[in-house]
Amino acid sequence: MNTRAPMIEFQDVHKYYGEYHALRGITATIRAGEFFSLLGPSGCGKTTLLRTIAGFEGISSGAVLIDGKSMENVPANKRPTNMVFQSYAIFPHLTVAQNVGFGLRRDARSKAEKDKLVEEALEMVGLKGYGPRAAHAMSGGQRQRVALARALILKPKVLLLDEPLSALDKKIREQMQVELIKLQREVGITFVLVTHDQEEALVMSDRIAVMFEGEIAQLADPETLYRRPNSRRVADFIGVMNFLPASVTGEANGHIQVEAAGLGAFEIEAAQASAAPAGGQASIGFRPETLTILYEGQTPLDRETPGTIEEVVYYGDMTYYDVKLDGVDVPVRISMRNVFGRPVLDIGTRTRVAWSPGALVLFR
Amino acid sequence: MRRSTASWGFWKTLRATSRSELPKKAPRAEKWRRAMHLASFQFPLPVLSSAMLRKRAAPQETRMAQGSPLSRLKHSEAANGLALISPTALYAILLLAAPLLTILAYSFFKDGYLTVIHEVTFENYKAVWTDPIFRAILLRSLIVSGLVTLVTVALAFPIAYFLSFHVRPDRKSLWLFLITIPFWTSYLIRVFLWKVILGYNGVINSGLKSIGLIGEGQLIEDPLQMLNTVGAIAATLAHAYAPFAILPIFVALEKIDRSLLEAGQDLGESRVMTFLRVTLPLAMPGVVAAVLIVFIPTIGDYVTPELIGGGKLPMVANMIQAQLLPLDNKPMGSAIAVSAMAVVALISLAFVFANRRYLRGPK
Repeated sequence: MNTRAPMIEFQDVHKYYGEYHALRGITATIRAGEFFSLLGPSGCGKTTLLRTIAGFEGISSGAVLIDGKSMENVPANKRPTNMVFQSYAIFPHLTVAQNVGFGLRRDARSKAEKDKLVEEALEMVGLKGYGPRAAHAMSGGQRQRVALARALILKPKVLLLDEPLSALDKKIREQMQVELIKLQREVGITFVLVTHDQEEALVMSDRIAVMFEGEIAQLADPETLYRRPNSRRVADFIGVMNFLPASVTGEANGHIQVEAAGLGAFEIEAAQASAAPAGGQASIGFRPETLTILYEGQTPLDRETPGTIEEVVYYGDMTYYDVKLDGVDVPVRISMRNVFGRPVLDIGTRTRVAWSPGALVLFR
Repeated sequence: MRRSTASWGFWKTLRATSRSELPKKAPRAEKWRRAMHLASFQFPLPVLSSAMLRKRAAPQETRMAQGSPLSRLKHSEAANGLALISPTALYAILLLAAPLLTILAYSFFKDGYLTVIHEVTFENYKAVWTDPIFRAILLRSLIVSGLVTLVTVALAFPIAYFLSFHVRPDRKSLWLFLITIPFWTSYLIRVFLWKVILGYNGVINSGLKSIGLIGEGQLIEDPLQMLNTVGAIAATLAHAYAPFAILPIFVALEKIDRSLLEAGQDLGESRVMTFLRVTLPLAMPGVVAAVLIVFIPTIGDYVTPELIGGGKLPMVANMIQAQLLPLDNKPMGSAIAVSAMAVVALISLAFVFANRRYLRGPK
């Protein structure tokens, strides 16, 4: 996949709204055929960036290239992109079929062929036979599908999705996530998704750009992003991460000696340290599932640290424990899968926590 | 309209409560309540009082709801709604429906000298529809109001569009306010002003004269004859009805989700095509409303043809007035009025029917 040609290139893109600096030097490449997500909190510029691809938003400086061609002075209707809007933007005065066939007006094909295309597009999104219905009478999930069919029927090079799932309820959202992934694999079109939901981005994307305040903080595949966030900020935004104050005591031969509160002294590989120096106090970070509470008679694979359970949150399939490691004031969160035969522990229980330096990330 | 039981209870309490029974030093709310009591005593306001007492009477209502069908009806939402509109409805019935029915009845009576003979006949309608003058005047009225509607709506649309799409949201109410400024002057005075503008020695002619376009040996020999033309009537009416056309179109444009326009462009259409395929169809309910609001009153306009047309270009309203008052033929005047109303109603319904596909959908 790494060898795929670039589809969209941002070259030092800046965007100002008056005084407000909305995009601060975005440089990134989205590859052909990949499912790419722009992830970030609201106001981080992710939607603005998406709209610069679609052509609804001009840029103040820099360049946006689609398939190698500069999009400067190319209006939205001439770009090889189509968009699924957050509100779906279904034309209320048209039927479902007219909505889906909206972009085919200038197509040279005959009416019968166009009708067939529309029917195929509706079938692809699971709305076969819905063509003659009034678009405004469709439910949220159905509108979403109409919007998808309407965009995909034009065979764009890039499909842009602006928080398309945020208005759906949880069940339908998860179902649509899976359908979107399947659809993307099927049609092979480059998808660019804007979302503020980190779980959604992790589930769906080949690669994710995490944005804060008009800048890309990290661009990586979901696993790297989750396991090796390059800053505390990214780590905080994606999933849950525990932080413990730490100090670096030495560094040699690609290894770093660290001393962390509650964990003692240990050695990690240089690759586990975040690239961006945070300045000030260094800290060690780890995900809740990388620690394990040891039950009686169990031995750790690597190391263990004693602690006391402060809080128990039961989720059905999982239990979250807040454990105060000896010598640390702030409790760390540990998640345990509730496999058969494993009891849920009580608050106040003294316990041993197994961990491994390999799962840690150093922020400094 | 019968008063609801709740207000009956109120009336009983009111009769039992004389002024002296109320405490001397009433708190503010009590004072207000007392004032309302007195007011509704002098001016029976059953609606107001029943609405005000609804909250207090609620438990009673719940009990009543299980009673007879009649009492259930009395406490239904429909009854409450009717109670709320009753003053306006009463007013409208007295001042609109009653005269209309009178006119309708008169149109079937016979005309005697200075009297009306109360015998049912269709002679008036026969006379009206075989009269070439009536047909000519009706046709003129239709042409004038059609022209006025076309001009007004065509000019109002760009204004409404500008207002909705290009004016900053915080300035919109200011613009709307400015658009209603013509209403600060009476309709009659505005019509008179057009007389001043279009007259033989009016603003336009003297203006042209002063820049040397009119005069002996000039481009135009004699001052322009603008008054007493259909064009002058149309211009005056179009000006008078412009705000009525702008507002409904503006409201329809405001309701359009802006992302629909982006979607139109995203799907490959230019701005112009997006306007034609998305904006215009979605604005049609406003355009239809504007057309009806302008067309229906202008066809029956009396003042403008009288003043700007100089009485030489009568429209249907002038003909009705002539029959009803100077000629004192009330049945004939009524028959003309009913005929004109029927024609307007038919044209309006046909117009709405022709545009029905734009008028359905979610509201």
